[in-house]
Amino acid sequence: MGILNLTKFLADVAPHCIKETDIKSYFGRKVAIDASMSLYQFLIAVRSEGAQLTTADGEPTSHLVGTFYRTIRLLEHGIKPVYVFDGKPPEMKGGELNKRMEKRAEAQKALDKAMEAGDQAEVDKFNRRLVKVTRHHADEAKELLRLMGVPYIEAPCEAEAQCAAMVKAGKIYATATEDMDALTFGSDIVLRHLTFSEARKMPIQEIHLKIVLQELNLSQTEFIDFCILMGCDYTDSIRGIGPKKSIELIKNHRSIEKILENIDKSKYPPPEDWNYEGARGLFVKPEISDPDSIELKWGEPDEEGMVKFLCGHRQFSEDRVRNGIKKLQKARGTSTQARLDGFFTVLGTTPAKRKADDKKNTPNKRGKLGGAGKGRGRPK
Amino acid sequence: MFEARLVNSSTFRKVLDAIKDLLNEASFDCSENGIQLQAMDSSHVSLVSLNLKSDGFDKFRCDRNLTMGMNLTSLGKVFKCSGADDTVTMKAQDYADTVTFMFESKKQDKISDYEMKLMNLDQEHLGIPDTEFSCIIKMPSIEFARIIRDLSQFGESIVISCTKEGVKFSAQGDIGTGNVKLAQTHNFDKEEESVTIDLQEPVALTFACQYLNSFTKATPLSNQVKLSMCENVPLVVEYQIPELGHLRFYLAPKIEEDEN
Repeated sequence: MGILNLTKFLADVAPHCIKETDIKSYFGRKVAIDASMSLYQFLIAVRSEGAQLTTADGEPTSHLVGTFYRTIRLLEHGIKPVYVFDGKPPEMKGGELNKRMEKRAEAQKALDKAMEAGDQAEVDKFNRRLVKVTRHHADEAKELLRLMGVPYIEAPCEAEAQCAAMVKAGKIYATATEDMDALTFGSDIVLRHLTFSEARKMPIQEIHLKIVLQELNLSQTEFIDFCILMGCDYTDSIRGIGPKKSIELIKNHRSIEKILENIDKSKYPPPEDWNYEGARGLFVKPEISDPDSIELKWGEPDEEGMVKFLCGHRQFSEDRVRNGIKKLQKARGTSTQARLDGFFTVLGTTPAKRKADDKKNTPNKRGKLGGAGKGRGRPK
Repeated sequence: MFEARLVNSSTFRKVLDAIKDLLNEASFDCSENGIQLQAMDSSHVSLVSLNLKSDGFDKFRCDRNLTMGMNLTSLGKVFKCSGADDTVTMKAQDYADTVTFMFESKKQDKISDYEMKLMNLDQEHLGIPDTEFSCIIKMPSIEFARIIRDLSQFGESIVISCTKEGVKFSAQGDIGTGNVKLAQTHNFDKEEESVTIDLQEPVALTFACQYLNSFTKATPLSNQVKLSMCENVPLVVEYQIPELGHLRFYLAPKIEEDEN
């Protein structure tokens, strides 16, 4: 999903673009959440004793549990979430979707086998692989969000593309997703791990597209070509070309067309009918609704509606739901803390580099700094 | 070469105590004019601005502008090693990656020196526009600290409202409400105990207690504190450091939710 190995690559090559932060520092920020991604996470992660939480009839409710509690957590921290749901998948994603279907079929087979053998660990493992977010799940989540007074948007096509467009238009601060193609779509800031459980104590990663481009020394179009080389959802990539080779090629030739003219095609055969132009088109001009036409409103939660929706048939405990709603109302009541950056202009950032860069040991500076950093700040 | 000598090392220690709640690390900018520090806390809600003038030091030399990034916890450890009456001398070479602190006891019979590693820090410089404030309140710093501490028990935020009658601090929360009103008092014998209000127009702003409480850690620096307020502008809390300069805190207000 997303762009193959991009996070790892960025952490190695452009470490400055990833900042680890705490959820507390996002108060007052409007954040777009990739809904399909988080529902999927909830369906996998929110479980008790390995089984999903279900209604009386065995319909899963894990996605609702997750949506309910994690959204409350975000609101309690003063974050204003807006959920963005996927629309129809782009035609070019067909290949990728077929692959996923095949994998599911394989997992199903493996599951049947494990069931027969009675291997519980294996059964759990393949059960998780079979998780799929259906239209029904999404509709239930939308209903819940509506009752909670949290806005959601239905993207005409890919959710990440819609999020990116809203970030670009300044409607929201960042896109929260695990899918790195939000960067390829041009979202200035991408947050990872935002909807993870508090218990996992995962710091939030904030990735800045501007710094990515600066550190890689690429333009946005070149970055898109680079991502296609790395491997995206919409088309195949060239076999035998990994992250290192990709960045080298893109830096030398600056576009896929030029790369194709210059590489040894017998050694690196490009895929047949390689539609990289189509993929690029999807990233550059994705199908989205105009961000300016979208109105975001965080309204009053509907307490009775929520109790009716969650308790009873869906077997939520009424006490817990009412408690959660109380938290929601409290979070709404408090005034928001403003930030200084809103009042004062940032004149500029001096990056963490010593001014005496002209010293002899510049070449191995990175390594040296990393080593020295650990022992810092403890005078003897 | 940078060298600064301060007979009263405890002043520097007090400055450090005042800012280390808000900042974990900070860059000290040294020039021939003195030492400056400007840094926001990690949540970007408050800003610390420290200015120590070179002529306030007993000796000051700075041949080349120098930025020293320091871990304030470590710096606190260094200053914990100093005696109350010690003289401190800070020294650093140009382009150095360490700074040395030398403490001399009053009787000159004990000299200790500590060398601390410097850090490379990202620095974000903020342009702070000059503001015509609607009201400027001067009051005893101890009184201010007391009010903030008392009202913090009632709620997470404090409303400071200033009219020509006086200044009112109020807080509300689950257990109830608290209000403290101060009227102007002129005490000509004891200037430091008076409350003065310079009012252009009435203002009321809401601030988070957590930050105000951190600011009051600067109380030992000065008898008086100056609060400057204006609608839709951050609060400025200023402590004068006698003969040496000032320590200012800026705090973004809390804003009432509009329906968006």
